[in-house]
Amino acid sequence: MRQNQANARPTIFVVDDDAAVRDALKLLLRSVGQSVETFASAQEFLDAYSEDRPGCLVLDIRMPGMSGLELQQKLNERHSILPIIFITGHGDVPMAVEAMQAGAVDFIQKPFRDQDLIDRINQALEKDAANRAALGERNDIRRRLETLTPREREVLDLVVRGKANKVIAGDLKLSQRTVEIHRARVMEKMQASSLAHLVRMVLEVGQA
Amino acid sequence: MTLLRVAEPQEERAHRLEREFQAVLDAAVDAVVLFDHEGRIELLNHAGERMFGYNEQEVIGLKVHILLPEPYRSQHEDYLRHYIELGEPRIVGIGRELLAKRRDGSEFYAELAVGRVQGTDPPRFVGFIRDVTVRRNAEEALRRSEAQLTIAQEIANLGNYVVHYDGDYEDYWSPHLYRVLGRRFGDPYIGVYDHLAPLVHPADRARWQQAREELDAGARSMDIEYRINHPDGTLRYVHHIAQVTLNDDGQVLREVGTIHDITDRRRAEDEARQMQERIAHFGRISTMGEMAAGIAHEVNQPLTAIATYAQACQRLISTGNFTNEEIAEALAHIGAQALRAGEVIRRLRTFVKNREVRRELMEANRLLEDVLTLAQTDARHNGVQISIETASESPLVQADAVQIQQVILNLIRNSIDAMQSVPESRRQILLRTRVDAEGDVEFMVADRGPGVDPAAAADLFNPFFTTKPGGMGLGLSISRSIVRAHGGKLWCSPNPGGGARFFFTLPAITASAGSSQQ
Repeated sequence: MRQNQANARPTIFVVDDDAAVRDALKLLLRSVGQSVETFASAQEFLDAYSEDRPGCLVLDIRMPGMSGLELQQKLNERHSILPIIFITGHGDVPMAVEAMQAGAVDFIQKPFRDQDLIDRINQALEKDAANRAALGERNDIRRRLETLTPREREVLDLVVRGKANKVIAGDLKLSQRTVEIHRARVMEKMQASSLAHLVRMVLEVGQA
Repeated sequence: MTLLRVAEPQEERAHRLEREFQAVLDAAVDAVVLFDHEGRIELLNHAGERMFGYNEQEVIGLKVHILLPEPYRSQHEDYLRHYIELGEPRIVGIGRELLAKRRDGSEFYAELAVGRVQGTDPPRFVGFIRDVTVRRNAEEALRRSEAQLTIAQEIANLGNYVVHYDGDYEDYWSPHLYRVLGRRFGDPYIGVYDHLAPLVHPADRARWQQAREELDAGARSMDIEYRINHPDGTLRYVHHIAQVTLNDDGQVLREVGTIHDITDRRRAEDEARQMQERIAHFGRISTMGEMAAGIAHEVNQPLTAIATYAQACQRLISTGNFTNEEIAEALAHIGAQALRAGEVIRRLRTFVKNREVRRELMEANRLLEDVLTLAQTDARHNGVQISIETASESPLVQADAVQIQQVILNLIRNSIDAMQSVPESRRQILLRTRVDAEGDVEFMVADRGPGVDPAAAADLFNPFFTTKPGGMGLGLSISRSIVRAHGGKLWCSPNPGGGARFFFTLPAITASAGSSQQ
């Protein structure tokens, strides 16, 4: 299910209070074959969006009600990884700087050249895909870790700390042969191609 | 004096002389005292009795010195002794001023003259004493008021003068006038105008000369401000007021005048004006800045939509993947958004109109006169003369005084700016109110500048159109909005004889219509 969403076609979410700008953006992005959803307010977007949907957010920085910056704040609180491109007026540079510091991928000043926006959107989509792929891999590692027995998990922890089988056998009061069997099971369950790969996977999910 | 009488018996004659002498003594205004060589008083007349507060009988035989306080008393004794012993006439015949002493001890200023009675030996003397208190007081008061006047003139930095035309007198220069005009004490005499003439600033000379000629031609007074190159090398502003006195035949007797160094005041005025200009400038800039930011934001939205629609259409058409409806809809949006941008601009233009206005019934002439006061400093600083002609019927208008005065000030300011390029003698502005053929009140600001370039005339009232370096181009546009909001018109036409004339009208309110609105 999760896997399916991550591989789903990315959507460009446009949030702008100005109906004409919103509508024009929709037409432009449709003209380059992108899938677009538009929202007239930050709240409307928050209510509709679920985190597992890939794509990027094109967000007007200056809106009545919840501003673009506030929406960014809310998404950060939810640990959203959706990349944000801010659209700003020309007097909004300090706000754009703030948005960038809070993690926005880019900002673009109104009015803009279509190609500039499209380029930025493509970059944001690449970034989102990479983020989601990384996120998917970590989730796989976690799932594999969950299949280990408690004993196998003990062996894994000692292996990634760099201990030799003989030492592990001593620590766990097992025969060296038994440790070797556990270790082979761990490599198999974790789908590790080498010791180095195993260590890297464990570090990736922060469980060393 | 010898009285010649014929056939008068000796005794009768002596008796008559005695009576006449007594009459002279009694009638004398001065005190008369007769005393012998030891200073003993033999006679004191009525005036003396009144002056000193003694009865004659009380003082007969007393020393004459009792009439004087120290140190004059001792001096006088010495003088008398010297005269007797050495024949030195220290006091005899010489009038001198000293203090005299009344019976009650109070003292007063007196003038004393003493003479020896001819043919007496040992000598006898007659003294004449005049009370000069009143004269002394008057002199003292005069000295004091002169000193005060000099101090006052120093404080005010003002000098006065008198030029005499009825005789060969030298002009009077008050002490401080020397300072104001830079003439040193001890310099050879020079008439006030002869001294002034070479000092008057060349740019002001024609005006100064004209004012003098008007005085010569029969004007009774002159009131003029001009600049002088002071002999100390500085440039000074002076305010010169003069009045002439005529005799019964209408001939000029003398001219009395004051010359007031107003450099400090002018400088302060200049500084205050510059400060005002800076404030006004910053006010304009910040208002314009806010406005510009607002316009930028409001215009940006439709521009963004227009650009995006257009670019989207291009892309759709180039891919061939589109429907006609889609393109038609986008084009309709583009049109609507362009109109929306236009609306923003229109709103800006009527910005002034929408401001809350306070219309009050007021006299059109008064409105213009008040502006003149405001504009005068600016005009004077730029060497511009403003004259005013107001409608005799003093029409009423219903107007926001601040706004209308801004319009008039703006027009005057434009005229002043326009005339920077013409010689100072041509820099004249005429302000006028009159009632036009329709019965509306017409205001006019006319100048002698280069006039309005016909090529520019069409754009003159457009916002952001300007011929001034650094101008915003909003003055006339806003002015026209204000006038229209008041139900009037604003236009310009060439000034016959050169320059431009700007007019605007305000609907006239008749006094009865005004009062019926209460």
